[in-house]
Amino acid sequence: MQLTIITDLNKCVGCKSCQVSCKEHNTSGAFGPVPDDTPYQDPDGMWWNRILTMESGEYPNTSVLYLPKACMHCYDAPCVPVCPTGASFKREDNGVVLVDYDSCIGCQLCMWACPYGVREFDEEAGVVKKCTLCIDRIEDTTLPEHERQPACVQSCPTHARTFGDLDDPNSEVARLVAERQGFGLLPELGARPSVHYLPRRPAPSLLDAETLETAMEERY
Amino acid sequence: MRPATPLLVLTIGQGLAGGITVCLAALMWMGRLAPGEARILVLIALGTAAVGGMGSFFHMHNLKAARYVMRRLKTSWLSREALTTALFGGLLAVLAIWTVLDAAGISSAGYRIVLAITASAGFVAMWVTAMLYATIPAVLSWHTPATVLNFMLVGITSGVGLTAGWVSGAPDLWIGLAIWIPLTAVVKGLHWGHFRRAHGQIRAETGTGLPFSPYRLQDTGTSKPPYRTQTQVWPLIHPALLRIVQLWIVFWLFVVPLGGVLLWQTAGWSGGRWFLPVGALLGVIAERWLFFADATHSSRVFFVDEPRRAPQVPLTGGASRTGNPT
Repeated sequence: MQLTIITDLNKCVGCKSCQVSCKEHNTSGAFGPVPDDTPYQDPDGMWWNRILTMESGEYPNTSVLYLPKACMHCYDAPCVPVCPTGASFKREDNGVVLVDYDSCIGCQLCMWACPYGVREFDEEAGVVKKCTLCIDRIEDTTLPEHERQPACVQSCPTHARTFGDLDDPNSEVARLVAERQGFGLLPELGARPSVHYLPRRPAPSLLDAETLETAMEERY
Repeated sequence: MRPATPLLVLTIGQGLAGGITVCLAALMWMGRLAPGEARILVLIALGTAAVGGMGSFFHMHNLKAARYVMRRLKTSWLSREALTTALFGGLLAVLAIWTVLDAAGISSAGYRIVLAITASAGFVAMWVTAMLYATIPAVLSWHTPATVLNFMLVGITSGVGLTAGWVSGAPDLWIGLAIWIPLTAVVKGLHWGHFRRAHGQIRAETGTGLPFSPYRLQDTGTSKPPYRTQTQVWPLIHPALLRIVQLWIVFWLFVVPLGGVLLWQTAGWSGGRWFLPVGALLGVIAERWLFFADATHSSRVFFVDEPRRAPQVPLTGGASRTGNPT
């Protein structure tokens, strides 16, 4: 089993509700691991899920991309073997990559090894922290079935994010990746991320008024 | 990469101690070392190793878990580094105690054997540390065999440089330095070339899935320099500063020691040998700072724009615009 999140980049509108709900759940949840000591200063502290906004192309053919980026829960997670204490580990039963804070010495070597820059150093606790795929929610049997999913997935207003088992060919996430050519980031570095993104459909090319008029005349 | 002070202290201290010990063993086996010089150098090596060891402690931010640090010897170079560096430090301490307590024993075969074992341990410790950095594919600048060569050569060159100040009667040392320093300079040049190429390996196509370039970051996801919680990235060094630091390194690590060797050998001025430790120390500190500060991590694609270009749109009107389309 490999639990993962698939994000449809066509549906993501960059509202950052997943970023905020992640922070909210993990700061005020059962474990409270995300420090939030200075919430009213510049929000450059610890976020396990960051939404990048990128503009690409050249005028007039430009577009904006929103890219939610958290732990990729890689099949060959490079952060795991480099850890000297075994604090970073990948669970055999569901593929989630986690950190044992009690064993972490805070050397940050796993942050260097992670190609995606999704691990964060907690200066207060002196340990490295990251997205847990809301392990406390997805394994909480007291929650209703539909709530046993990561906070970011549940809060997405456009349903851009889908949670499930990538190794199950009948799962929704496996179907989406197969049918929509889901891709992982930085494949050349060999981490085999389980988190995938569904590529954006190309935007229609812009027509100037004259071409548009000609086309309309030809058609009608 | 953020150049953390404990890491600078650790790698510099370990390199100096390893270099001094290797040099000491070579001179001892050639019979070119007086007992008094050996005593001073062993203590200096122990001192630099101790400073490096202290650096490693300060780099751990959760000391309660330090007892687990050798759990992953099978896969983690950091576990191996802890083991080999501790072994080297322990042997060096034994050697220092022997040197201080039994001055007459310095010329014995047993002392030479222990020194040779200590030097080998120092060599292995330096190699393991270098492998730690060279085996991280995500740090594009370091993922090259040149990193290992660079660590070994810079460590030994700086250690030999430090040794040279206290050794008066070893002509072979100067001949060795005249070969060793240019060799280190060549490897350093190759390493910097790899650093430059690594800058160009940041690819928006695979990093973000964007089908066409250029891309411009409008929001880095609630993060900003100096990226407090993400120490694998670091603001880009200004090209002028980079050039100055590189010139500093070339001057102090290579030019000054070579000048010292020439002054000593050709002009017969014995004071020239003190150029070597001074140059080695000032050079290696800057070299190690740049090694971390200029390293390109693959995640930089999520933090830094592609180079800005002038607008491609024809400009109209009286006021002309220049510069970036921001």
